Amino acid sequence: MNNIFAKRRARLLAMKAIRDHHAAGETAVTCPKCGQMSDRKQVAQELSVCPKCGYHFPIGAYYRLSTILDPGTFRELNEKYPAGDPLSFPGYHAKQEQAQRKTGLNEAVVTAAGAIGGHKCVVGVLDSRFFMGSMSAAVGEKITLAIEYAGKNHLPLILFAASGGARMQEGILSLMQMAKTSGALARFAEKGLLYISVLTDPTTGGVTASFASLGDVILAEPGALIGFAGPRVIQQTIGQTLPEGFQRAEYLEEHGFVDAVVPRIRMRETLIQLLRLHEKGGHT
Amino acid sequence: MLKRILIANRGEIALRILRACRELGIETVAVYSEADAEALHVQLAGQAVCIGPARAADSYLNQGALLTVAKATGCDGIHPGYGFLSENADFADACAQEGLTFIGPSGEAIRKAGSKSAARDLMRAAGVPVTPGSDGPVSCVEDALAAGERVGYPVLLKASAGGGGRGIRRCDSAEALPSAYAEARAEAKACFGNDEMYLEKLVLRPRHIEFQVLADRFGHVLHLGDRDCSVQRRNQKLIEEAPARCLTPRLRAEMGAAAVRAAEAVGYENAGTVEFLLDSDGEHFYFMEMNTRIQVEHGITELVTGVDLVRQQLRIASGLPLEIAQEDVQLKGHAIECRINAEDPAKNFQPCPGKVEFLHFPGGAGVRVDSCLYNGCTLSPYYDSMAAKLMVHASSRLEAIRKMRRCLEEFALEGFPTNAELSYQILYHPVFIRGACTTAFLDDHLPELLDFSRRLSESGADA
Repeated sequence: MNNIFAKRRARLLAMKAIRDHHAAGETAVTCPKCGQMSDRKQVAQELSVCPKCGYHFPIGAYYRLSTILDPGTFRELNEKYPAGDPLSFPGYHAKQEQAQRKTGLNEAVVTAAGAIGGHKCVVGVLDSRFFMGSMSAAVGEKITLAIEYAGKNHLPLILFAASGGARMQEGILSLMQMAKTSGALARFAEKGLLYISVLTDPTTGGVTASFASLGDVILAEPGALIGFAGPRVIQQTIGQTLPEGFQRAEYLEEHGFVDAVVPRIRMRETLIQLLRLHEKGGHT
Repeated sequence: MLKRILIANRGEIALRILRACRELGIETVAVYSEADAEALHVQLAGQAVCIGPARAADSYLNQGALLTVAKATGCDGIHPGYGFLSENADFADACAQEGLTFIGPSGEAIRKAGSKSAARDLMRAAGVPVTPGSDGPVSCVEDALAAGERVGYPVLLKASAGGGGRGIRRCDSAEALPSAYAEARAEAKACFGNDEMYLEKLVLRPRHIEFQVLADRFGHVLHLGDRDCSVQRRNQKLIEEAPARCLTPRLRAEMGAAAVRAAEAVGYENAGTVEFLLDSDGEHFYFMEMNTRIQVEHGITELVTGVDLVRQQLRIASGLPLEIAQEDVQLKGHAIECRINAEDPAKNFQPCPGKVEFLHFPGGAGVRVDSCLYNGCTLSPYYDSMAAKLMVHASSRLEAIRKMRRCLEEFALEGFPTNAELSYQILYHPVFIRGACTTAFLDDHLPELLDFSRRLSESGADA
């Protein structure tokens, strides 16, 4: 009988060897920045950062949350908040459903209550795979609800921005979200609570011009494009060549718009440190 | 409540029913053919009666013998299981005439749901989407050609009385239709004694999504969520999961409501399944057919809903109302089932039953095994080749996949080849892991999967 299991073990090992060999061809990832190939596993270990040049690959909202939150503390807020189509914009509804199927997201933002290093907090993450993370009425509302939830429960708030700006298909209603989220943050600030804004690639348009720039502490991921209008538009408008690294996270840090550029791998510990420092009384 | 029932089936489903009966305090009478004298359901039943020789037509399909035994042993109900007489409307009627409770829907409901072209009309009237096709049966090649022209090729020719993949022909153009029509019709005549055919549009690369429904005598109908049975070969399912990964909550609610409407339309009572095709766009779904019986893969629905379906069947047949309402139905976690069949994938899935020399089933948290096998028993060549159903339940789909892989690693059966290793490989296939399998998956990837096994044999590892 032992023989049976020994034989099975040998066969399973042989299967694994073939599988691994087979998978080897599919495990390389090419970095769009440096063009070098890296092992997928190694890239995954570095939280989707190119091990050669430090390029930060775009990542999804749920994955981002899993790299930040303490395991098992994630509790999504307003998960089922429906995506709307207030202007009955032609073709918009179908595009939304397509994006929902592709990403498994309901809208471009995921908001959650959880803990980071034991500190309870509220975290919102924009997902650039969903309409380029643009701010629709639903996104604005979910962010506002998250801000209000944090305010009501006296919790620190962390928002990860990754956005192309306002959602075109929702017209003026999406622009209104800028005022709404800013207003909610003002009321949040009056309570003396901490808001950390993290800017990831890209943070542009109406999101930069509203909640993303209102953080008490503003962090950014290396190499992230951060701005209102894109560099090409500016260049064409002012007719001048833009300086090297213009609108990149490091440039903005140098010029005082960003407090610190934090690599993804150090984001969690940085947040833990900030949350600890800002806890009531500031005891460490 | 029913007092004593006859289980008109064999194999793992006979065992499944028997177990539910014991838990409910219902006495059981098993029946068996001469080939099944040693079978587990015979050993475990309250009493067992031999009803004829090995051939199914002489035993498990022998209505007269079953009814006689049921009455002689003082049964008040008959559970048909799946296959055999489970969807035989005449048998359901005969039971009713003899004063026996048929644990399933009425003969009338079976007829309504069972005739495929009539069911289509009924569903269309009830507002359940059906695939575009001939409205009703096509009586001649000209009718079929006209219908084909209207809905566009490719089309499927189907026998109204068909099932199990027989009496079905795919047809890609008008030129190929006449010969396919003749072939399918002859096959339908031979298999089902009924050559009525209908035609419908072939949905390319669909997913097979089905909804479990329960209906009681008092008009309460509810659904217990969905199952994705897209991993199949020639309409024989291999791996099933619940819930389907591809459904958005909105679509799930919509399809569930359609399934309930479908059950209501045929005046359904007891447990049933409404099968849909989900188009590759992931939005349009079409009613395919309604199975008026408990299904092989009912176990995964039990795992994610916590509802014992056979128990519900017995309660419903006893005239009791449903214990739950639609709001109580919560899908928790993810369940996967692998069917272990005595067949050799390398030899075109040729059935290869035999004696079980050694058997070890996996166990542990979230694992369920339904099987009629035991060490030393013989899997009979007279009936279907299913040897076991391995089921796992975990909080997420990925976890369930990992658990099932582990189960298949543990599972050991010596004596005859099975498809277990094929399933194991599928559980590692990127398309499966992504949850992107359509009904075309197995056909598309079979050569690649079999090539894997071939290389394995060459590498010297013994089977």
